Amino acid sequence: MKVIILGAGQVGATVAESLVSEQNDITVVDVEPARLRALQDRFDLRTVTGSASHPAVLEEAGIDDADLLIAVTQSDETNLVACKLAARMFNVPRRVARIRANAFLDNKLVLGPDGFDVDLSICPEQVLTEYIVKLVEFPEALQVLDFADGKVSLVAVRAYQGGPMVGRPVKEIRAHIPNIDTRIVAIFRRDGAVMPDGDTIIEAGDEVFCLAAADNIRQVMHELRRMDQPVKRVMIAGGGNIGLRLARALEGQYSVRLIEHNKRRCEFLSARLNQALVLNGDATDEELLEQENIGEMDLFVAVTNDDENNIMSSLLAKRMGARRVVALINRRSYVDLLQSGQIDIAISPAQATIGKLLAHVRRGDVVAVHSLRRGAAEALEAVVHGDRESCRVTGRSVEEIELPAGATIGAVVRNGKVLMAHHDTRIEAEDHVIVFVTDKKTMPRVEKLFQVGARFL
Amino acid sequence: MSLVAKLLPPANVLLDLQVSSKKRLFEQVGLLFENNHGIGRSLVFDSLFARERLGSTGLGQGVAIPHGRIKGLKDALGAFVRLAQPVPFDAPDAKPVNLLFVLLVPEQATEKHLQILSELAQMFSDRALRDALATAADAEALHQRIVAWQPDAAGQRQAVA
Repeated sequence: MKVIILGAGQVGATVAESLVSEQNDITVVDVEPARLRALQDRFDLRTVTGSASHPAVLEEAGIDDADLLIAVTQSDETNLVACKLAARMFNVPRRVARIRANAFLDNKLVLGPDGFDVDLSICPEQVLTEYIVKLVEFPEALQVLDFADGKVSLVAVRAYQGGPMVGRPVKEIRAHIPNIDTRIVAIFRRDGAVMPDGDTIIEAGDEVFCLAAADNIRQVMHELRRMDQPVKRVMIAGGGNIGLRLARALEGQYSVRLIEHNKRRCEFLSARLNQALVLNGDATDEELLEQENIGEMDLFVAVTNDDENNIMSSLLAKRMGARRVVALINRRSYVDLLQSGQIDIAISPAQATIGKLLAHVRRGDVVAVHSLRRGAAEALEAVVHGDRESCRVTGRSVEEIELPAGATIGAVVRNGKVLMAHHDTRIEAEDHVIVFVTDKKTMPRVEKLFQVGARFL
Repeated sequence: MSLVAKLLPPANVLLDLQVSSKKRLFEQVGLLFENNHGIGRSLVFDSLFARERLGSTGLGQGVAIPHGRIKGLKDALGAFVRLAQPVPFDAPDAKPVNLLFVLLVPEQATEKHLQILSELAQMFSDRALRDALATAADAEALHQRIVAWQPDAAGQRQAVA
């Protein structure tokens, strides 16, 4: 597939990296030659320097032959114009844009049928806000992801001594919670993937990925660790776009404190928040944290635009007694260093955001893709078509399907009903199938499986 | 007469088309159906792309049979395109494609349309025919070859070859 990516920032670079390894033909456009050079040094792709919304630049990038345009420059306006040009001048079949401003996102004239010809808009701040809100709702989880319009959840939990299933083989989970159907799709132990079968013993410290109907997720987690107290008090460091969205999403149900160092921004924030308390100060200031009872916080979230600041403030908060700390960290090497150390959860914004984008690039009828474990693993939701003849999945039982090693069919959603996949579950046309892949490299083979043959009409 | 022969008017054969990608190819095919049959080019383009997304219509050996449903179309329609340079098509054998039979069918596709597709697959599995199509000197000769082809009749096929 020929893909043009506009913007070589965090998101653009992460998308490029994720696509290059899948044998696509990628061209990246940016105004900043230095950023392009950095990309080109690492990956096999073409780059064009210039303004992403200029027709001549787009032409130089090969837009005439492009199957997909991904507009993720810093500027909403550039992204919108690029999509419009791509559709009207160059007939590019699919166009994706990053749009930040609510004024655009909420406006039908901008994103509707007669708007700027954007097939899919993504707002990273919104995606991250949803991600963190889930962590507030499920304080035991490392990550919670939704499939099939929220009917199915995939949850990552660390197993702790004292959880009823810890030290027990996977197959016993049915006896423990007989009324709940769940599947343990993967276990990560000391950074390696263990392919779980019925006899695999769950150890303390394992990172366990379970699929279940969304309503059952809490009971499933309860088998792997003691449940935490529900979250009541949340402190947010950083009143930028994400901090504000997060405070607005949480202030109705939780006690929220928001720390922001810029005084004028604080005024702006308090005008837009009803219950959340806005504090002017530095999140790495021990005295301020002490004053605001950091020790009583159930959750501390650092979402400033500065990695070091987020790391230091959340380390400090943890040491001063905050129950759980979450930090937004852009730099990949930092995320790897810090996750599951003193910082409970390190979120890489780019990784969290690209899932929605990836769904568009996949071959086959893929509805959702989530990037997990810092991009190493993936979970995918695909719609099945055709019949036994035209597709290698349709009309077959799960055990008959030739999945590559490390891939598991976890659940099936049929006519809105969630079925956990067992070895004898038969896949039918129009099913939504959720597949977990421990090694992203096998994803192309999984996609191939779900594609229909040439004779499918 | 084969089913395929009935839906391919001589004017729907394009020889040695210069395109650089699948996208450009579908644009040209859209143009052909718009000019010859009054079907909106973007309708054709979108329909072919949507189908391709579910899985490539490449058969291997440089051949593909892109197809799509068209709202309001009464009878199935075909077009044959030979490309000057092959383009990537994500085919099962990973080879680029230079011979294409494009098929448009009504929105309510029937058993007959499936038969057409399987006839096409059978036709292009015939190596002698593929070679003949790849080397035919002009559109008329190429059209003749396709029209003369008979399904499941090895003897006749050889007689023509």
